[in-house]
Amino acid sequence: MSPYKDTNLPRLEKDLGSHHPINNMKDFIMELLIELGFEIVDGPEIETEKFNFDMLNIKKSHPARQMHDTFYVNNKSSLLRTHTSPVQVRGMLEKKPPIAFISGGKVFRKDDDATHLPMFHQVEGIYVDKGVSFANLKDLIFKIVHSLFGENIKLRFRPSYFPFTEPSAEVDILAKDNKWLEILGCGIVNPVVLENCDIDSNLYSGLAFGLGIERIAMLKHGVNDIREFYKSNLDFLNQFK
Amino acid sequence: MKIAYKHLAKHIYPVPSLNDLSDKLFHLGHEHEILDEIFDIEFTPNRGDCLSINGLLRDLNVFYDIKFNNEKFDGQIKSYEIDFTNNAIDDCPRISFLKIEVDGDIKSYEDELNEYFKIFDINKKNFFTDVSNYIAYETGQPTHCYDSKKIKNQLCLDEINITSNFSTLLDKDIKLVGKNLVFLDDKKVINLAGIVGGESTSCSSETRSVLVECAYFNPEKIIGKCIKYGIQSDAAYKFERGVDPLCQEDVLRRFIYIVQKHANILSLELFSKTYKKYSKKLVPYDLNAINNILGSNINNNEYKIYLRSLGFTISKNTIEVPSHRSDVKTQNDLAEEVARCIGYNNINIVPLQLKKSKPLKGFERVKEEKIKGLLIDNGFNEVINSPFSEISLNNAIKIDNPIDSNKPYFRENLKVSLIENLLFNERRQQDSVKLFEISDIYTQDADGTQVKQRKLGIIASGRMGKNYQNFSKKIDQSYVSSIISRYVSNLESVEEEINRNNLNTKAKAKIYFLEINLSEFNEAILGYESESSRLKEFKEYSPISDLPKIYRDLSYSLSKNASMENLNNLITKFENKFLKEVFVFDFYENTKTNKIKIGYRFIFQSNEKTLTDEDVNQIFKPLIEESLAIEGIEIPGIK
Repeated sequence: MSPYKDTNLPRLEKDLGSHHPINNMKDFIMELLIELGFEIVDGPEIETEKFNFDMLNIKKSHPARQMHDTFYVNNKSSLLRTHTSPVQVRGMLEKKPPIAFISGGKVFRKDDDATHLPMFHQVEGIYVDKGVSFANLKDLIFKIVHSLFGENIKLRFRPSYFPFTEPSAEVDILAKDNKWLEILGCGIVNPVVLENCDIDSNLYSGLAFGLGIERIAMLKHGVNDIREFYKSNLDFLNQFK
Repeated sequence: MKIAYKHLAKHIYPVPSLNDLSDKLFHLGHEHEILDEIFDIEFTPNRGDCLSINGLLRDLNVFYDIKFNNEKFDGQIKSYEIDFTNNAIDDCPRISFLKIEVDGDIKSYEDELNEYFKIFDINKKNFFTDVSNYIAYETGQPTHCYDSKKIKNQLCLDEINITSNFSTLLDKDIKLVGKNLVFLDDKKVINLAGIVGGESTSCSSETRSVLVECAYFNPEKIIGKCIKYGIQSDAAYKFERGVDPLCQEDVLRRFIYIVQKHANILSLELFSKTYKKYSKKLVPYDLNAINNILGSNINNNEYKIYLRSLGFTISKNTIEVPSHRSDVKTQNDLAEEVARCIGYNNINIVPLQLKKSKPLKGFERVKEEKIKGLLIDNGFNEVINSPFSEISLNNAIKIDNPIDSNKPYFRENLKVSLIENLLFNERRQQDSVKLFEISDIYTQDADGTQVKQRKLGIIASGRMGKNYQNFSKKIDQSYVSSIISRYVSNLESVEEEINRNNLNTKAKAKIYFLEINLSEFNEAILGYESESSRLKEFKEYSPISDLPKIYRDLSYSLSKNASMENLNNLITKFENKFLKEVFVFDFYENTKTNKIKIGYRFIFQSNEKTLTDEDVNQIFKPLIEESLAIEGIEIPGIK
């Protein structure tokens, strides 16, 4: 028994640290997708042109293949993956449909400003089965976006272009300031990619999507400069306890 | 690409509003911004056919009644006996040359030409080049104008290996190296095909005899050249995205039509040659395939209306793709066309049920989560660092084209980054820094075999923590290893002390660092129950100040009849915009004297100015006075 008048004595506060907000967001999204039935696949950050580009129908003449965007390694013998899609190619080569993969991690592009960094994070998913359609893709995207931004968020699909999906779409959400903000890319897997992975595109079709983690984290936390995430500043990190 | 609302609207009946047109452009996938009634459109790289007024109108034909501007010169043109050799017919299957001679003065610009320069506020160059630029904007087909008097001998198109200087008409000299597709005049380069012409044969305001070149170039021969030579070229931008392979003669007739309005034409001569026949692109008509891809239920009638509105022709079981649509080859491409017409937002939603049982998380992933939980429970913050490093200790993997030439290597360990993180935080007046990072580390053997290892790096220095148990304790040699040792069999690597002598720092606290392979953790870690679950709500972040912080401590002595509650309330309610943080760093019950000692640390920081002691004294004064008014409370040293 304390001899004092009241027992409002200070409690011993736990000195807790924090998860990094980018890893936290990445894991949050991955968990969400695991709940929906996706399985995690992993792949290397140092990739070959074959898996990063060729297998994904990104032709030699595609602007992304210029030295401009890609980091090459050891005299162009390999490269730093520019997206997490090569992991899915590796996954498709290993397993036969139906398959539902997600992969998440670091990707690299030769960019450096307030909204782009040479290293950033993506989560991508692919589902291949008989009869997978764009209408199914829309259902999945609504589920993902609603889980991230709430049921009341307004979103729109916009036609877009990626060499590995056709049709392709980008998805925007209506942000607080009444502006549309792009948050993810998706589409129906280009049959060429399925064939590249020894999947019969007459029997199977697939859907794919990819999200940039930094962009989502910036939106969710109200961070305006992407570089804040990578200064390892305790004043910043401690806000994410 | 910028296209004026006015230029589109005048071909559309009835005339749509700016906002209506904007909505339709988004509907079709042409993302844009609007400034002064000009659409700045970000066309996707597969839609080279849209890079002009006419091109975009062809797409808008889905929604509107479009009257295309087909006014062009339709008179007879004499055949042109040009001395031209095409040694690159695969890269240039079709080409036309038009020679126009005019005399007298050029009239001031009229109609569409005048409007073009007015709306975009572009500097005029010379008449023929100006017409060429306008024609590219209107039709999407670049043309190149030579002053025909400056061309001497035989013209030749060839892809050659070359190293030479080339003076472009952009007032910029470039050094051509390697393989280039070029036009040669007596073996001298006069034009980097499809990209930029040469200064030596360029038109001027004196030019009265012009040679207009109009061709289809293989996009693969154009792409990358602008980056390589550091030039900006609208022509190259169009060629690398694909122009209409069949449009040359129509474009040149439109060219003449514009010239005719401004000058007295003396003679016209046209050379047009197809070196490789264009083969029609045919795709089977298969509505089922389209509905399967989209999950839609459109009927034949709808499908045909959409296709025809986009310029496709349908005969029996075949769809012929218009020549300008180089991007359409398969059923999936056609499905995208249909989806664009319907509107992506109007396509049904069909619930997706994955035919898979819920997969289990892998052992490695669970293990990693548990390790993170353990460290976070012990006050460590997770960081993520860039993998680029200036150091190669042991044949590090090297980036050919690093963004920072001082950091060309892939880091071989986590140590260097974590030391930088520590010093950064010390400079920001942090007296307790405990960080960790988990990352794949890529290294290579002497023979170049790459090795990937998943590693954990931990760094710690200064106070063990902020609470009153940890505040006065300093991190020591066994601090880090004592946290993880239960979960690592035969922990070989105890933390190393990092010598501060080589670091640019005045701080004194000892630094301890430990790096370990995740594979060294044993199964015991799976049983660890973390107290710090992952963040499920996403807090709004408040911007960080880079200005110095000021710390103030208040140490109270409470007798047994004093109200802790009153003191607590007072401190919790104490608000100031500069107050960043308050915590109890000291707490001690003296049972002999029946007194409690309690110390609070206040941290002040402004986002706008450097706070002075005087500023903080002023803020603090009322708090001190009010707390001393509570019965039984003293602040030793202050009456």
